[in-house]
Amino acid sequence: MMNTIIAVAIMLCLLLAGGASASDHDETLPYYRMGAVNVPILEGWANQSSADFAQFELTEAQATIRTAFVSANNGIDAAQAELGEMLGMDIDGPVYSDKVNLADGTWNVLAFDIDEATTASSMARRSEAGFIVINFVERNPAARTVLVAITQADESRDVADPEIARMTEALAGVGLTQFSGVEVIDLASGTWRVFRHPELTAMGTVFGNESYVALQEGQPGDLATLADAYNRTLLGFFVTPDNSHYLALGLAVVFLILGTLVFSFSWRSRGIQRDLALIQQLAQSED
Amino acid sequence: MTTPFLKCVLAIVAKDLRAEMRSRELLSVMALFALLSILVFSFALELDRAARAEAVSGVLWVTLIFASLLGLNRSLAQESDQGNLDALLLAPVSRSAIFVGKFAGNSIFTGIVGLLLLPLMTVLYSMQMLDIRVIFTTLVGIVGFCSIGTLLATMTVHTRAREALLPIALLPVALPFLLTAVRATKGVLNGAPDWQVWLQLLAGITVIYVALCLLLYGFVVEE
Amino acid sequence: MAKEVAFEAAPQPRLLRVLTALTALGFLATLYLGLVVAGTDIEQGDIQRIFYIHMPSFFGAFTAFGATVVGGLLYLARKNDAWDRIALAGAEVGLAFALINLLTGAIWARPIWNTWWTWDPRLTSAAVMCLIYAAYLMLRAGIDDMSRKRNFMSVYGIFAFVSVLTTLFIIRIVPETIHPVIVGASPQNAQGSFEATSGVVTALAPSMLLWLTLMPITLMWHRYRLETRREALDQKMIQALGD
Repeated sequence: MMNTIIAVAIMLCLLLAGGASASDHDETLPYYRMGAVNVPILEGWANQSSADFAQFELTEAQATIRTAFVSANNGIDAAQAELGEMLGMDIDGPVYSDKVNLADGTWNVLAFDIDEATTASSMARRSEAGFIVINFVERNPAARTVLVAITQADESRDVADPEIARMTEALAGVGLTQFSGVEVIDLASGTWRVFRHPELTAMGTVFGNESYVALQEGQPGDLATLADAYNRTLLGFFVTPDNSHYLALGLAVVFLILGTLVFSFSWRSRGIQRDLALIQQLAQSED
Repeated sequence: MTTPFLKCVLAIVAKDLRAEMRSRELLSVMALFALLSILVFSFALELDRAARAEAVSGVLWVTLIFASLLGLNRSLAQESDQGNLDALLLAPVSRSAIFVGKFAGNSIFTGIVGLLLLPLMTVLYSMQMLDIRVIFTTLVGIVGFCSIGTLLATMTVHTRAREALLPIALLPVALPFLLTAVRATKGVLNGAPDWQVWLQLLAGITVIYVALCLLLYGFVVEE
Repeated sequence: MAKEVAFEAAPQPRLLRVLTALTALGFLATLYLGLVVAGTDIEQGDIQRIFYIHMPSFFGAFTAFGATVVGGLLYLARKNDAWDRIALAGAEVGLAFALINLLTGAIWARPIWNTWWTWDPRLTSAAVMCLIYAAYLMLRAGIDDMSRKRNFMSVYGIFAFVSVLTTLFIIRIVPETIHPVIVGASPQNAQGSFEATSGVVTALAPSMLLWLTLMPITLMWHRYRLETRREALDQKMIQALGD
């Protein structure tokens, strides 16, 4: 009996040791996890995330990107409410508003002009009871930055030039022809085409059927960094699917099959016992 | 003292062929079944030309396998019911010679059905099935399938529900033949270059199965 | 074959009782590791945890079916009934494990591949494997003569094992599978793979060990004992009828 107990103890120790080393599974994933929402961590940006939102700030650009889950009735309200909370003030309605269909759902695309120094861009998508909002706020008085996504009219293109032109004309009244040439740069979020004009920089990239356009008035020269970080957040974030009911179903099946096997063993064993007893009885009654 | 291997095999095959010549029981049933199956498939699938090219090799093999199942069941049931198998086992004959004899007989009958099916399907499905590569694939596939088929039919004649048990026991085990043979035939018919790979695979599996059956048949007929 | 026939079930050997306790504890412990200790896969969600049973159960089936083929070969060589009982125990336990493997796979595929089933080479060959061992048990039940039954089933078990090997190696032969490989490189078109990070490995390794050894051995031993008693009962019945 003693060696039985020892064997059990050793086995349990081994398993618990395995468990203990598994519990420190704090792997340095490149995501900040906020419940089921996983937001890419932006390198070089200060991580100011809390339990309610994932927030990254680039101090020299005075830019902040915040991803949060907001309960609201529509995407515009959600983005506006979250912006208001970020800035601690009431926000007027957006100066630009559109909708795009991305792989994970329909997004509200918004741009806000808040005061002389501050501009904001928002994307909001419905998720269960509320909205996931990704807000970009830039407080640099030397620049006004707008970051938007636009569905391409012609899906076969791989350059975003028409959408860039549309935005520069709408927001700054400058046509693309007035820009001096085009420059192509590779960023983590893709290959971007950059157009420069005195006092205005515009750039765009294509991912799927959408063009992503970034505009900046003023000359701080950090548009590429900001556009890249915002797009990485937008394209890289994802929601961990809730499929625990499938896990429960799977476990139920495992228990059902193993249970059936064990039950059939004991059922058959009992049957054999019964038959043996019967034979014994017969043998005795014959004697 | 045992009779020479080849002589035994030939004697068993000759016996099966002679019995078949007289009764025409096996071949007529298999051929009629195959014809019916081809007709049923052509009604059931209502194929256009492109779909036919895809499906025809499947139709050929499913038909062949079910026809072969009929033949296998009857061929070994006859042996067993008339006490033939027991007599053979009593004779000074090596076990593998009995296997090769029965296996060759079954392969010949199924092969005849296969060779009848090819021109028939060429006409009914307007596909060029009378291709030497298709014929070769068909014969190799039949030989492979009949090896394991003969072995398992020898087992199932001793079971209670033998007609039902043979397909249940045989089909999953014989699936490698069905899979590779269908792919090879389809490759030839579609002009795909991979038919050769599938034919090689089919031939390889056939060699392995025939060898295994030869080795294990002795245990199956052991009393 | 002179053997005394026990009326009472022989008491379980102490080793078997220890193994049973260890298996039950180990099963609960690996469930705890997989469901509680291991972290949630952020891309696949909770369903990824089913993998801690899915893959080990295949290897459990592999052990059990391995016992079937080895038992069959040794029975043919030695004609000792015990080997045939081991073969039978392996087929029955292995089929249960293979069903667990197949069904947990289908349940995982539903949220990840968005379908319960697809005719992928590996899935197909795993399903065929289940069918073959179901046929094994059916065929076995259909044969009355005991020594014939043992011979036939030994031979069938050898052919059946081909399907196990096919399932194991099919992605090396037919690379057009979407089934992910966790150990080694996944095929290019694999869908739903995840990395074997240290968390995954520490939850998987004990489970693998349990399903590869303790689970099949313990269950097969119980099945073996059951078969021994059943055969003893049959003998007793023949005796009683003969008297």
